[in-house]
Amino acid sequence: MGDKITSKKFAAEAGVSTVPGHMDLIKDAKEAVKISKEIGYPVMIKASAGGGGKGMRIAWNDKEAEEGFNGAKAEAKASFGDDRIFIEKFVDQPRHIEIQVLGDKHGNCIYLNERECSIQRRNQKVVEEAPSPFLDEKTRQAMGEQSIALAKAVDYDSAGTVEFIVDGDRNFYFLEMNTRLQVEHPVTEMTTGVDLVEQMLLVAYGEKLKLKQKDIGINGWAVETRIYAEDPYRNFLPSIGRLRRMRFPAEGKLDKGEVRIDTGVREGDEISMFYDPMIAKLITHGKDRDAAIDTHVKALERLEVEGIQDNSPFLAAVLNQKRFRSGKITTNYIKEEFPDGFSGADMSEKDERLMIAASAYAHGVNAARFNDISGRDEPAHPARTEWVALVAGKAVPIRVELDEKGAEVHFEDADKTIQLKTNWRPGGGLMEGKFDKEDFALTLKPTDEGFIVERLGVTARIIICTPATAELHARLPEKEKPDTSKLIMSPMPGLMVSVDVEVGQEVKSGEAVCVVEAMKMQNIIRAEADGVVAKVNVGAGDAVAADEVLVEFA
Amino acid sequence: MKEIVAQLEAKRAEARAGGGPDRIARQHAKGKLSARERINLLLDEGSFEEWDMFVEHRCNDFGMDENKFPGDGVVTGWGTVNGRIVYVFSKDFTVFGGSLSLAHAAKIVKVQRAAAKIGAPVIGLFDAGGARIQEGVDSLAGYADIFMENVLSSGVIPQISVIMGPCAGGDVYSPAMTDFIFMVKDTSYMFVTGPDVVKTVTNENVTHEDLGGARVHSQKSGVVDGAFENDIEALQQIRRMIDFLPSSNREKPPVIKSFDDPDRRDMSLNTLVPSNPNTPYDMKELIEKVADEGDFFEIGKDFGKNIITGFGRMEGSTVGFVANQPMSLAGVLDIDASRKAARFVRFCDCFNIPIVTFVDVPGFMPGTKQEYGGLIKHGAKLLFAFAEATVPKVTVITRKAYGGAYDVMSSKHLRGDVNFAWPTAEIAVMGAKGAVEIIFRAEAGDPDKLAERTKEYEDRFANPYVAASRGYIDDVIMPQNTRHRIVRALRQLRGKDVTNPPKKHDNIPL
Repeated sequence: MGDKITSKKFAAEAGVSTVPGHMDLIKDAKEAVKISKEIGYPVMIKASAGGGGKGMRIAWNDKEAEEGFNGAKAEAKASFGDDRIFIEKFVDQPRHIEIQVLGDKHGNCIYLNERECSIQRRNQKVVEEAPSPFLDEKTRQAMGEQSIALAKAVDYDSAGTVEFIVDGDRNFYFLEMNTRLQVEHPVTEMTTGVDLVEQMLLVAYGEKLKLKQKDIGINGWAVETRIYAEDPYRNFLPSIGRLRRMRFPAEGKLDKGEVRIDTGVREGDEISMFYDPMIAKLITHGKDRDAAIDTHVKALERLEVEGIQDNSPFLAAVLNQKRFRSGKITTNYIKEEFPDGFSGADMSEKDERLMIAASAYAHGVNAARFNDISGRDEPAHPARTEWVALVAGKAVPIRVELDEKGAEVHFEDADKTIQLKTNWRPGGGLMEGKFDKEDFALTLKPTDEGFIVERLGVTARIIICTPATAELHARLPEKEKPDTSKLIMSPMPGLMVSVDVEVGQEVKSGEAVCVVEAMKMQNIIRAEADGVVAKVNVGAGDAVAADEVLVEFA
Repeated sequence: MKEIVAQLEAKRAEARAGGGPDRIARQHAKGKLSARERINLLLDEGSFEEWDMFVEHRCNDFGMDENKFPGDGVVTGWGTVNGRIVYVFSKDFTVFGGSLSLAHAAKIVKVQRAAAKIGAPVIGLFDAGGARIQEGVDSLAGYADIFMENVLSSGVIPQISVIMGPCAGGDVYSPAMTDFIFMVKDTSYMFVTGPDVVKTVTNENVTHEDLGGARVHSQKSGVVDGAFENDIEALQQIRRMIDFLPSSNREKPPVIKSFDDPDRRDMSLNTLVPSNPNTPYDMKELIEKVADEGDFFEIGKDFGKNIITGFGRMEGSTVGFVANQPMSLAGVLDIDASRKAARFVRFCDCFNIPIVTFVDVPGFMPGTKQEYGGLIKHGAKLLFAFAEATVPKVTVITRKAYGGAYDVMSSKHLRGDVNFAWPTAEIAVMGAKGAVEIIFRAEAGDPDKLAERTKEYEDRFANPYVAASRGYIDDVIMPQNTRHRIVRALRQLRGKDVTNPPKKHDNIPL
């Protein structure tokens, strides 16, 4: 079943609906219109050699089919030198929904409902859930039964997945069958209560399935996100390095739901370029979709990764979007919602207050401790309560009353006092607690002045200072960005191991430019600013002197 | 009486106005704060007590008698940082461009002497145009008076300079003799002779920034120990630094309440050293995972990056960390690294700050550039500094400790008090390949035999146990326990009392 064409043939023979299309070459526009009509609009007209959107047209009527055929043909000829054209059904508002099946060596087979994996980036699944917010019982049953029919047709005797593409009218079409346990299997386990790995081992041993179709229900909702070692802020470039810090939320109950972590990494492990970038799967379960998502967001809040960049800020941003919450998702979701990539989630007024309060608390705890430093010459003053928070170019006056277990923060501009409760202490990593009676968790790192606060894709620099200092801040003009050097120089005499950029390449700050070996140690030389490579003066194997210019930026 | 009070208030107001609101506004427009604003940021709120605000210069040449400002271009006095006394002088660029007259110098000398007498740090904030030329040799005398106090106070009280504007000519030498210099990026520069003179003498065209900006001195010359984004950040960080330092050489470092468990184990340290001995790793991670709360105040972050120096705390009490950095030049000792670390070690020794050293050093840097630059003497500075230091010294060898560099890095032989090694340590005269090529020169033509010899050498020497068998290493410890073991070592060393032979002073190879 691994081969797509064979499996599609098998599927068709087993009565499974496949994407209708015309697999033979089409000679002219007239034939194209005829075939399109037979398939039923909308259709996709595509070049045999096509790729990257080139030589592809969607047609919703005869006129568009004719134009599309001619256009695609011309484009294909120009781009690929090959103008062979095919037509198939265009699936509008496509969703990726798959059915989990489980068979044994005795001809039994059941389906364990569906998983929806529509949230994908470049065909890589990012968020998966069970059940699908889109399926009704009738469609589920139809998909399930067809999947069983297919599994039985090939005498399938393990856990497997039948993948479908589903359109906006709940028409479903077979894509392929995965004859293995899938990454997203935990959401099925958490909603059906069936341990799929256990069942696989039992049936592989030759045991009969004890489970009957009627035993399989849907208990609540489960959501899985894949934690990848990639940088969502830099177009999802892989991020490699050492996991200086890697803390997962505790498994088990969290909020109104439950958390499960599947991972193979620990703090201190190296994420190398040689393996898949997935470092963990976070799965949550709740009584309904909202509860599962709520718990999931809380779990993401409590995930701490340092040393590499991970995609959790992006995942949190997706899960918090109104559209995701509404369940109106398609496989184009990420393309549609993040057309220009990801640059962090927006800070709401609530986020801002929380982050200010957290910073004020951290600042206060630290100040109180230094107020008690040994060797004082003058007695300590009572702690100041009037402060100003500087955030995103604004000065927010606050009044802070600190105690052992938190702070009462009065926002003067809103004339509102909010309670922050937490056990956090300096150096304590994640700050967890309640703000205005609601759970929160965030990370807070001191900088030369103030803190960088991060939570669920929202990042802010917050400075807590006295009103007088705030005034001085206002007096200092905004600094122009310094002109960083356009040259990459060898920091030492050595041997070039590799040059990892070429002329014309766009390089981001922090990206590896080349590797120099000296003292038998490899030193990765990184770009200190974003730029485009103008000149590469060396190649692998060259001996270089200290301060020799290796790469020049435009 | 009312009139008398009014007169005092009027005089004070005049002094506090400095060069007047227009000049202060210009100062702000350049991204700089005024002399008094800076002092208020540095000190605890309301703690500043100004001295000599009515002092005026006594120069009568060039019409100067007509041109007087109370305070004469520098604001001086004392206040507190978290309740601990510090003395401050802050050059006022809005008055005579902050230029130095004899009266101006006398104000600075007054706080320097008071600080030395009491035993409290002096912090100088620089933003000035150099000598007051109208005063002639009096101005030069004033400089020398300040230099003299810098020298006498050296090693007695911490002296810190922050360059927050121009600092040229005679003005640079007082900061140069203090313990630490910091700069503010983009708004400060520091050089002996400015771009105009450079152009006349050497025909070289150079900007202020390229000749003596914060980047030049924090990255290339190593003259300054850190550069900050703006005045406010810089002064915040100076406050943070003061909290690490004892007020004088008569005191122990200050102690704060630590929120970090002294027995905290960190399993991730067990994988810090990569399995390939030639792969770098970030030594700063070890420092941050060992120090209380991961709080580390780095000194000379952007210069001589192959060695890390800075302050942290263990059980709430200050320690100085010195560590080779495999991420940069494999952690080799070169001129820059040796100079930087030597000065840091001597500071710690002056002020009773225990030194914790992490070692992963492949040796000294070879090459003509280094030898011509005098690596022999610069390397000797670090050796000398570690050897003469009498404060508690705890050393942990994480990986390589090769050759003379092993001796230098606070080894047992230089009176290291507690010397640990991780199981990954390789303590030897050199790496296996080099050693085998020398010992078995006769077999040089036979790669198989050499490989065998290399393996033999590695098995014998690429470990900490030979050194441990001689007692040069007190114990081989698991990386995860490093914090706990250092804490206990430092507790054990609290009563350490060692003095060097009496002498006028030593003669470190400068």
